[in-house]
Amino acid sequence: MRPMRKVDVVIVGASLSAAAAAKRLVDAGLETVVLERKALPRHKICSGILSPRGHRFLIENFGPLPREVLHEPTWCRGVTFHFPSMVSMKMDFFGGTTPHLHRKFSDYWAIQRSGAEVHDQTSFTGLEDNGDHVVVSARRDGEELKYRARQVIGADGPSSPVIRALYPDYPKQIPWFFVGQKFHNIIECPLDHEYFHFWFHPDLGHYTWSHARDGQQIVGVGFKRGDNFDARHGNVVRYFEDKHGVKLDPHTTHEGCAENFGPSLVNRYVFGRGNVLVTGQAAGFLNMIGEGMSCALHSGAISGEAVVEARLRNRPVQETYRRMIASEVRRTTDQWNPLKIAFERPHEADFPAALMRLPWRERRLVVRDLWRFMLLYKEFKWGREILRAAASRLLGDGYPTTRWI
Amino acid sequence: MDIPVIEPGVIPPDHVAPDALQGIRRQQTNPKRWDGAGWTEFAEVLRSAGIEVVEQPSLRGTFATDAGGTAYGMPHGVVIARSAVQVADLLRAAQAHRVPVTARGGGLTTEGESVAFGGVLLDMTGMSRVLAIDREGLTVRTEAGIFWHSLAEVLRRQNLDYLSAPLNLTSSVGGTLGVGGIDVNSARLGCSADQAISLQVVTPTGEIVECSDTQNPELFQRVILGYGQFGVITEATLKVRPYTPLRLHYFYYTSLRTAIEDLQLLDRNDASDYSGILTMMDKVVNLLVAFDSDAREAAFMTAWRARLRGHGEAAVALRMAAYYALHPWRLGEALFLYERRRKLFPEFRRAEYTRGGVMFDRTVVFSRAVWKFWGGRQMVIPDLAASEEKFVEAVLRGNAVCRKYFRHYTLYCVGIKLREDHRAHYELSCVPPDARERAYGCEFEPMIGDQVIARDRLQSFKNEIYDIGVELGTSYYRFGGMMKGYVRRVFGDALVDKHLAHKRRADPAMILNRDVIF
Repeated sequence: MRPMRKVDVVIVGASLSAAAAAKRLVDAGLETVVLERKALPRHKICSGILSPRGHRFLIENFGPLPREVLHEPTWCRGVTFHFPSMVSMKMDFFGGTTPHLHRKFSDYWAIQRSGAEVHDQTSFTGLEDNGDHVVVSARRDGEELKYRARQVIGADGPSSPVIRALYPDYPKQIPWFFVGQKFHNIIECPLDHEYFHFWFHPDLGHYTWSHARDGQQIVGVGFKRGDNFDARHGNVVRYFEDKHGVKLDPHTTHEGCAENFGPSLVNRYVFGRGNVLVTGQAAGFLNMIGEGMSCALHSGAISGEAVVEARLRNRPVQETYRRMIASEVRRTTDQWNPLKIAFERPHEADFPAALMRLPWRERRLVVRDLWRFMLLYKEFKWGREILRAAASRLLGDGYPTTRWI
Repeated sequence: MDIPVIEPGVIPPDHVAPDALQGIRRQQTNPKRWDGAGWTEFAEVLRSAGIEVVEQPSLRGTFATDAGGTAYGMPHGVVIARSAVQVADLLRAAQAHRVPVTARGGGLTTEGESVAFGGVLLDMTGMSRVLAIDREGLTVRTEAGIFWHSLAEVLRRQNLDYLSAPLNLTSSVGGTLGVGGIDVNSARLGCSADQAISLQVVTPTGEIVECSDTQNPELFQRVILGYGQFGVITEATLKVRPYTPLRLHYFYYTSLRTAIEDLQLLDRNDASDYSGILTMMDKVVNLLVAFDSDAREAAFMTAWRARLRGHGEAAVALRMAAYYALHPWRLGEALFLYERRRKLFPEFRRAEYTRGGVMFDRTVVFSRAVWKFWGGRQMVIPDLAASEEKFVEAVLRGNAVCRKYFRHYTLYCVGIKLREDHRAHYELSCVPPDARERAYGCEFEPMIGDQVIARDRLQSFKNEIYDIGVELGTSYYRFGGMMKGYVRRVFGDALVDKHLAHKRRADPAMILNRDVIF
């Protein structure tokens, strides 16, 4: 076995949140190593539709976006909601279009621009927090590696090995979803290719979407884990053809992954323990409509800032991180807060205004369809928790930190 | 995938559609840390030239952030400035090895302008001696790393004082001349940068040059208000004046607009020697008026006092009591104001500095109060600098943004007299191009205290304030560092490219204060 490598910080994962954290750490002169299981640049399943806030973050921190980090079309104008009553609502993003990221290259570009040292094809296998340092175990080409770091940041996505190392039971405590997308050549597609399309249709699944990419059409479905991807997908393709006149060839490729949809809704984030911080989607950050990249970037940056801050002030890093992350929690969970949605503008597109543009009859249908769609989630018993979180937000400045793990 | 290397000063295209992020300049504002290529050889070259380079992490760490406390960077080494020759040697070597050099005085920037993202941090406070005082000619020659307050201590031994300087004990002369510098007498005496008669400057290529309105005037024009892009100021000759204590008066308003109109009325008519506005949110607006002599004070009392619409402290307290009695749900705000008044006001009347109603050291009084009551671990102070006509609207709109983001904040407004013969100095600076005779500045300062607020939220706040400026066509004081995305939006590509061309000629490797403006 090689001698143990001593560094300031180890980041697990080489995604956007990792790049954001690495950027802050490298700027502050900390020796940072990023561990990535796959060979870089690596493929990543994602819609790639980044929110304008995320676009701003990328530019401010890594510079303007090169062409290779974008799919075709390179941009998306907004979101279109479709309802079973065949009402459609088109909403443009605030401040113009937004990037359609090619995650394989955007993540690679960002992590390279961060200036951190990247060890790819290196799998995280475990950690041991010894109070003043953490020993991280990893494996590359069958060889066991050890890193000794002052802090570790877990930025390793929804089914996070870092979380499993800290809380082995956590994955059993939350509902898991599967999201999968299949790529089809287009025969005819009346869906506007400038928009991301989303269906609030309980019969189609918990999360149904479609958009154009590189001359093909993506048909995506999300559902509670355990269901059949092909059957769900086939059902959606038929629905698109019947109701929207979308004619597609059989799919050429497909991909899917597990999703931890839920912690943002009920303010049940996982931020780690001791010298180990968890960030990005691993911590549970997910915007409405499932966009997780912008909050991954911001929460990742905050985890990096917290490490720097804690060192400079000689404070415990976990406490510092939890204090600093509160603003990102507030912003993300506000997106799911019914009071905020009704009376403020927590999203980056204006749903209430789009609703008010509809005739009265259609408004009623939309509200009815939304309600029916939400009943699909009844089994997770989130309603009461969402209302409780909304009430505490009304009284205080943020969401209760005692709910966090 | 090939990751392109971006040269300093170059903004590569962003390939998302042109209508993305409307109004936001697509420019990296949190710079990439310099990668340290060739650092060891460079440090060796400096050492062999007799320049001490501090490389211990604990010492470098003391320069990790600035007063803003949101940008963190770590220099590879710190050089403490000792002489113009040493600075020249450093810059020549840095130019040859393409190593970035960040100059820092008191480190009072808020946007990371004095934070080194790698390379050398040049700590100018090592050059802090007063060289010569001319009592007859009323000038002083000083090294530029000196703090204004230390300069004042030396001057006051001879019953002299500087003209105007930031109300802050640790702002340095060189840093201030590079960006502006406002005081409560700026409406009468101009900004600090305008009191410089001549400068010794070390250019980015390592030449030591003396410049003034008559000697090397182009360099003088670029260095004054030049945000450190065109040289390091090592010495300065400044105008001074006989020292006078202040006769202070406070007038209280409950309307921002009325207070600003009264401030402008006084400034237009040269009715006072010092004037400024300091607020507690937009609830209590304090117009400060002060005089250098009893005669000026008496003239004000006769001609102008009755025309001001402000009240005394007791009258405004009664008005506030009535307001909060009718708005009981704002009890928290009322208690905050009460507490603030109770603790803050005595600070301005401390017996050490005030005798017989006359204040003897305004810098100490204000600076102590500023740090005690407004300072915090994080500070963002976006500002708008507008012409007299646009100022009220700029402040009112900025105030609305403050209200939206923060529960507690302060506004600080002053006028700045302009020098027609220094128009060329004002290009690409905080002085708005449409201002004639006098410009006005307002700082919007949230009171963050011990809270920690994510950088993104602070950035959104600053952006919203600066967007008002873009819309109204004003300028800003703090447009460097993290706010440099606004430089081209406000000044336009033609002007910025003109200055960038100057910069490239003066600093071919773009080493000096890289990433601050361009």
